[in-house]
Amino acid sequence: MAIVSTNSNISRYGRPVLAWGVALLFFFPIFWMVLTSFKTDADAVKPEFLIWFTPTLDNYLNLTENYDYWRFATNSVITSVCATLFTLVVGIPAAYAMAFNPSRATKDILMWMLSTKMLPAAAVLYPMIFLAKGIGLYDTHVLVITVVSLINLPIAIWMLFTYFKEIPKDIIEAGKMDGVSTWGEVKEILIPLAWGGIASTALLIFIFCWNEAYWTVRLTTIDAATLSKLIEGNRAPEGLFFGRLSAVSTAAVGPIVVLGWFCQKQLVQGLTFGAVK
Amino acid sequence: MGRIVLNNVTKSFGETQVIPPLDLTIEDGEFAVFVGPSGCGKSTLLRMIAGLEELTSGQIEIDGEDVTQVPPSKRGLAMVFQSYALYPHMTVRKNIAFPLRMEGMDQSEIDKKVEAAAKSLNLTDYLDRKPAALSGGQRQRVAIGRAIVRNPSAFLFDEPLSNLDAALRVGMRLEISEMHESMKTTMIYVTHDQVEAMTMADKIVVLQAGVIEQVGTPLELYHTPRNVFVAGFIGSPKMNIFSGSEAKKLGAYTAGIRPEHIDIDLSGGTWKGTVGVAEHLGSDTFVHVHDTGLGDLVTVRIAGDVAVKHGDTIYLTPQMDKIHKFDEQGLRV
Amino acid sequence: MTNRSLPRLLQAPAVLLLLVWMLVPLSITLYFSFIRYVLNSLRRPEWTKPALSNWRGFGNYEFVLNNKDFILAIQNSLLIVCSILILTVIFGVLIAVLINKIFMGRGIVRVLLISPFFVMPAVNAVLWINMILDPVLGLQGLAVAGINEVIDGLRTLPVLGGFFSMWPEIEPISFRATQTSAYAVITMVTWQWTPFAVLIFMTSLQSEDQQQKEAAVLDGAGAWSQFRFLTLPHLARPIAIVVMIQAIFHLSLYAEIEIVSRGNGNKNLPYLIGEFANNNIGAASATGIFAVILANIVAIFLLRMIGKTLMD
Repeated sequence: MAIVSTNSNISRYGRPVLAWGVALLFFFPIFWMVLTSFKTDADAVKPEFLIWFTPTLDNYLNLTENYDYWRFATNSVITSVCATLFTLVVGIPAAYAMAFNPSRATKDILMWMLSTKMLPAAAVLYPMIFLAKGIGLYDTHVLVITVVSLINLPIAIWMLFTYFKEIPKDIIEAGKMDGVSTWGEVKEILIPLAWGGIASTALLIFIFCWNEAYWTVRLTTIDAATLSKLIEGNRAPEGLFFGRLSAVSTAAVGPIVVLGWFCQKQLVQGLTFGAVK
Repeated sequence: MGRIVLNNVTKSFGETQVIPPLDLTIEDGEFAVFVGPSGCGKSTLLRMIAGLEELTSGQIEIDGEDVTQVPPSKRGLAMVFQSYALYPHMTVRKNIAFPLRMEGMDQSEIDKKVEAAAKSLNLTDYLDRKPAALSGGQRQRVAIGRAIVRNPSAFLFDEPLSNLDAALRVGMRLEISEMHESMKTTMIYVTHDQVEAMTMADKIVVLQAGVIEQVGTPLELYHTPRNVFVAGFIGSPKMNIFSGSEAKKLGAYTAGIRPEHIDIDLSGGTWKGTVGVAEHLGSDTFVHVHDTGLGDLVTVRIAGDVAVKHGDTIYLTPQMDKIHKFDEQGLRV
Repeated sequence: MTNRSLPRLLQAPAVLLLLVWMLVPLSITLYFSFIRYVLNSLRRPEWTKPALSNWRGFGNYEFVLNNKDFILAIQNSLLIVCSILILTVIFGVLIAVLINKIFMGRGIVRVLLISPFFVMPAVNAVLWINMILDPVLGLQGLAVAGINEVIDGLRTLPVLGGFFSMWPEIEPISFRATQTSAYAVITMVTWQWTPFAVLIFMTSLQSEDQQQKEAAVLDGAGAWSQFRFLTLPHLARPIAIVVMIQAIFHLSLYAEIEIVSRGNGNKNLPYLIGEFANNNIGAASATGIFAVILANIVAIFLLRMIGKTLMD
């Protein structure tokens, strides 16, 4: 009895307080960024305005003027949407084939795909720039979309494979007995059943595409540059523009963080390839 | 019509051959049961007939037509899966209608057929539910309904009752048997449960390690098992099988006697032993006897109630005309 | 026949694309690593075009191995990746256990906790190094200044002032400097990836066998023993997965290092490659090949360890 009662005392008061403390600590940098985005650049570095200040929307209203934000944001949207679609178009058939018609090589292919993710991007950076400039695709949407799709393709295939594998094989076979064509199988059975999985894969891949910072920065100059490039280019304001920098950062991550809140459960299954449930 | 002939059919997974060359004929209208321990290849055989598994070599004919290369849906067969394999995102109505829709039948015709099937399977009230909202038995019925509407030349059942609890299983067993009586369509039924095989089949095919051990009616298998394996597999409780000196006395390498063909006596008989456990079922009594000199525990089945208990000494006498004798190869003598 | 060829056909685009994506640039890197190839050279203009006549054999590799930055970069790569892995796993387990019970506002706590994971790396780095860690204008600078001001105030006290006068002024730490920038990088990436570990461990904890725990309580196991002998073994697999996935992402860490220190002595391998690539493509390529070898060692090790359990 003694153990039980002390336990419940701790968990009644201590645990929530501690948990809330930790959560607020982790959220604090984001909160601070959002808060700073409502200060003027001058106020942002003055200790007396640390918490009490006159909020202003100027930083947001001047996003275009200060940073040409919408051009980069548009590029980010184009890149992420197209790359996500491309990844799914290539990934769904592959994952479908591997999940329902596995051959002896399937495991090895999946492992190999994952291992391409470990290839250090930097090792092939210069050849990529060399090639891109050679075929005239440097700083174009086509190139950025292709590259961003390819680096996310292994993860997408793995996620889809895990979701597809959860569909009982019997159901697919019942479909075969009932006379569905391959296309019918995909349309009538696979997509309706794996809809949730496909959606969360799409969402997660979209987030990864949006946040991609290596290739998007290095393969673009201005025409196809995304928000990562914008932020990276303004990395060192030396305290001069904390306000406007916070505003543009908030505008760059805000939509994605909110999107992330909605897919956190699927994130676990997707990123652990179904191994953790 | 539904006469199914397997000619020299084999199946290998990589290097391992799971089904050595095998011939089998299932007559039109027959209820054939494939039975055997798990891993004996019975499901693989069924799936090959269905077209879900490719043949390594050999040929399958349905009604005289070679269907070896024909895709599953074009073979005119319907299959009921162990897991029911219902489409979880469709209502019962849509599930049953699905194969008809795939055939391209027009909607009014589909509706008529679905209603009729639902009525015969007592599913009318559940037509607009999704499978998740049904009990195991109801799901089983939907799976059967989906098979019936196609009007197949043969039904294939892959262990359809093993996911049901014991009471439901007996009920469904009767329903399937009755369905066969009224439809007179060929049915192939796979099970590992020899009771299901004995009660339902016109023809039992006993398989072990991909090899057909015996084909026959239930009573043929019961009375004249072709070898030791079939003798031990068919019948419940299992036949008492023994070899050694006691078998030699009977003029066999191995001999067997079913529990129901042994008489007991408290004063004298062929074999003397000690009662281990006596199971009183009311209608029958199963007596398990130790130290008879036959090697293993001997099981005796006595009709009605007999007053024996643990530790009693009893004498067993086999009915001599019911003894099964086998040679060194395990074949019936 | 269609039964077998169709699946292959469906996989073909993905496999081919990844194969091209992997092999083409890699073979070019390999080629460049064996020739003299620089972007600008007034003295030897023939080196500014990649050509077989500029063959250098293993010269680039020798050059890289003899470069003191190379060993530093490898050390730094390992320091950064290992620190992040250890910290995220420890924090992840502790926080997951902490919020594994139901309490007021647990849903909101979850949302707050997971948020850093979705912040784009560039923003993460800019936010931390400027707004938080900047020695003058960031929160660190403001906090240090504040404390110093308080101490200054105490010095003017009549009696105790003498005592406080002996205290030194607190110096803020510049995280853009050579020795400290790695810690800034470790801090910000740990901040970003701990939520990921928490999320996965928490999911795993929910499938922990409660009856087993009750049995352990009856067997007299205290909270610590339960954690040590039941919870930790239960988490072994998720921990392995968290390690693998993070290794995949962190071995190619770049944006954070670039933004924090612009290399400033704190290079990891990807960064060193980028630096060489400003002019000496041959050396950059040779370093790239080393990075590929290192990644392969890690990959083989991890995939062997975890891959099989993932498939079942």
